[in-house]
Amino acid sequence: MYKFLKRGRVAVSILITVAVTLAFLFFSNRETDLFNGFLKIQFVPALLGVFTGSAIILVLLTLLTLLFGRVYCSTICPLGTLQDATSRTASLFKSKKSRRFKYSSPKNLMRYLILGAAGIPLIFGSSAVISFLDPYSNYGKISSEITGRLEQYVHNLLSTVFPDTIFFRSYSVFIAGSFIFALAFLILVLAMSALRGRLYCNTICPVGTLLGFISRFSAFKPEINRESCNKCTLCVTNCKAECIDLKNSTIDESRCVGCLNCMTVCKKGAVTYKYSWKKREEQNEVPANAASDPVPASSGRRDALITLGLVGTFLAVKAVGKVAPLAAKPKKDGIAPPGAVSIDNLKSNCTACQACVTACPNGIIKPATGEYGTDGLLMPVLSFDKHFCGYDCNVCTQVCPNGALIPLEIEEKRLTQIGKVRFNLKKCIVFTDKTDCGACDEHCPTKAITMIPWGEEGLFIPKVNRNICIGCGGCEYVCPAKEKAMIVEPNEVHAIAQKPKEEKQEKVKVDEFGF
Amino acid sequence: MERRNFLKAALLGSIAGAVQLKPENVFARESKEAPGQNDLVAVMGGEPEVMYKRGIAAMGGMKAFVKKGQKVVVKPNIGWDKKPEFAANTNPQLVAAIVKDCLAAGAAEVVVFDHTCDEWQACYKNSGIEAAAKAAGAKIAFAHDEKYYKEVDLPMGLRLKKAKIHESIIEADVWINVPVLKNHGGAKMTMSMKNYMGIVWDRGYWHANDLQQCIADCATYTKKPVLNIVDAYRIMTQNGPKGKTTNDVVLAKALFISSDIVAADTAALKFFNQFREMKMEDVSHIGKAAKFNIGTTDLDSIKVERIKI
Repeated sequence: MYKFLKRGRVAVSILITVAVTLAFLFFSNRETDLFNGFLKIQFVPALLGVFTGSAIILVLLTLLTLLFGRVYCSTICPLGTLQDATSRTASLFKSKKSRRFKYSSPKNLMRYLILGAAGIPLIFGSSAVISFLDPYSNYGKISSEITGRLEQYVHNLLSTVFPDTIFFRSYSVFIAGSFIFALAFLILVLAMSALRGRLYCNTICPVGTLLGFISRFSAFKPEINRESCNKCTLCVTNCKAECIDLKNSTIDESRCVGCLNCMTVCKKGAVTYKYSWKKREEQNEVPANAASDPVPASSGRRDALITLGLVGTFLAVKAVGKVAPLAAKPKKDGIAPPGAVSIDNLKSNCTACQACVTACPNGIIKPATGEYGTDGLLMPVLSFDKHFCGYDCNVCTQVCPNGALIPLEIEEKRLTQIGKVRFNLKKCIVFTDKTDCGACDEHCPTKAITMIPWGEEGLFIPKVNRNICIGCGGCEYVCPAKEKAMIVEPNEVHAIAQKPKEEKQEKVKVDEFGF
Repeated sequence: MERRNFLKAALLGSIAGAVQLKPENVFARESKEAPGQNDLVAVMGGEPEVMYKRGIAAMGGMKAFVKKGQKVVVKPNIGWDKKPEFAANTNPQLVAAIVKDCLAAGAAEVVVFDHTCDEWQACYKNSGIEAAAKAAGAKIAFAHDEKYYKEVDLPMGLRLKKAKIHESIIEADVWINVPVLKNHGGAKMTMSMKNYMGIVWDRGYWHANDLQQCIADCATYTKKPVLNIVDAYRIMTQNGPKGKTTNDVVLAKALFISSDIVAADTAALKFFNQFREMKMEDVSHIGKAAKFNIGTTDLDSIKVERIKI
């Protein structure tokens, strides 16, 4: 039966990883938003999006863990699947001896410290630390910066082979810091998994540690039957979580990812899932059993309770919506994508997975370097260097799995003011060169910019109505002046712009050609 | 082997010959209808395809402009991510009718493209032009990256001496310019000459270096369109060139065809002026182009046919 279950697990994990990857790739995410659903079932997005529609997913993921332990890590987490694939591939190149896993003792202090470092800022309304540690979001960064770039090179190679049918994809803004982080993280994870299986998941990953806590209470736990076990160590050598302690015949459920390897390799059928809720009660009744446990159960349980308390606090703080400010006056020079509500909201909920970056058809969303300050690194910021925000486009707001960008209908999006343009007359071509231009007016979708008569040579100059400007950046992008005369200033808190006036025309009856 | 090839060639040749006979008969009949060579044809009061059919017949039929086996580019305005009823782009039915006519005249291939302002895939799709042109048998060319453009000299240009022009125009035997008639915040009006902004890569240079002069300069490019077909079925009379709502649009039902780009724009401007005042002097690229002697603004000096449907 376990063999069958394992095959199912592998199939599901591959399916989810492929789907998550496709959500980040151009050729698939332009055609369908089918794959974005797979981003929403990830743990951290569900946790952060708990009040923006992901509550059910969070409950289901918690229930799953409460029932079977950390199966999330071996089926749903794409980074976990990547590590399994690496570990498996690496074993092909290893000697028989070095291919074997060994039990290692838990690095609990490190795990808790990292979990604390990632989790506590969340309570204070900053997702800055978790954004560098969340396995899904980092998988996203890898997909966007590395897999996505590779895909682009392949695409462009094909575009030279089939120039009529495959178009060339212009290279968008390249942020070295983001690329280097993704690459360094990928190398770290690949190296760790090639050498030691799920070492990353069991020492660094805060999601792994948190789910590990919940796993202590799970209904079904893997157990070794001391009577039928002949200590052949087959399970230990196949345990990529390195959590089977055969000396004491125990399995550390906080590190077990439920990969089912041990159960499928055991020739005696000694490793199985056992229903543990009923048993725990028995254990409490018979203190002799507890004494034989090398790790005092009470200390583990205390840690778990503290952690769950923290999660509870996080949810409570989030529900109330009051956030204790971390820094006095953080830097806010960046324009946050539509749906972000405010830069603060973005900084509390975004984990920089880059789903929006890869989905933007205009390629104007880039990972922030310093625009939002140090607590907003790699979070999405708009750049009007190569294009501007499409008036009839709301794609970024639809793909965000975290609720850092809340979904906007097209109608809402058209009125969402993410910034306001400032016009600098002295830099305008019409002013400096005394020639017609009007490129800004041409691109303005709301007619916040209009051209009005200026001077005596029949010239027209831009006039700006900031109340109906939505900050799309069309004018800034297209302004041909050496130093832009139109610059969009960010709205720290996004506003609703005034509706552009409807200008009805008088009907003119024309029957002649006019010449 | 050789014999087989010869037979094949002979067979194909005879089929081609048989096919050739038919359209030529049609052409003969058409030219009987056309009352000599007109310099400019203005049509009013019909659907886009109907006006086009009447107009092109009065110009002597497409065969006068597109020869058998030629590579043709049809260049509409697809600048904006707007549906046809907003009149920000050329009417897709008109584009389709022209494409079909070019193919019927024996064109080897017809290519349609524009260097869009909004995101190009959205423009191609929502303008309805990609689908209409493809259905009519045209090939859609990509124009969203600098790599699709090649530099050409414009020796006559005063401000614009060089421009990167789309490769399909450079490679084509003939091209047909199909702008839509619109009010324009910067250039005042957008018609045939302004439509050249969609065949070049660096438009920013134009805006920064006397827009009106650059528009006229680019119109001196030696490979001129064999026809300028100005779509005035729906015209945007305010808030152009992008427009806000359909309130900016008037159903004018007109079409202007000429090989003389200055004359085509002059006629279109005068027509537009009836809906909303627009002076010739304000649209100064027309006068500037006339100075280059690439066309005339004096519509009385050329043969004009006016058709009302």
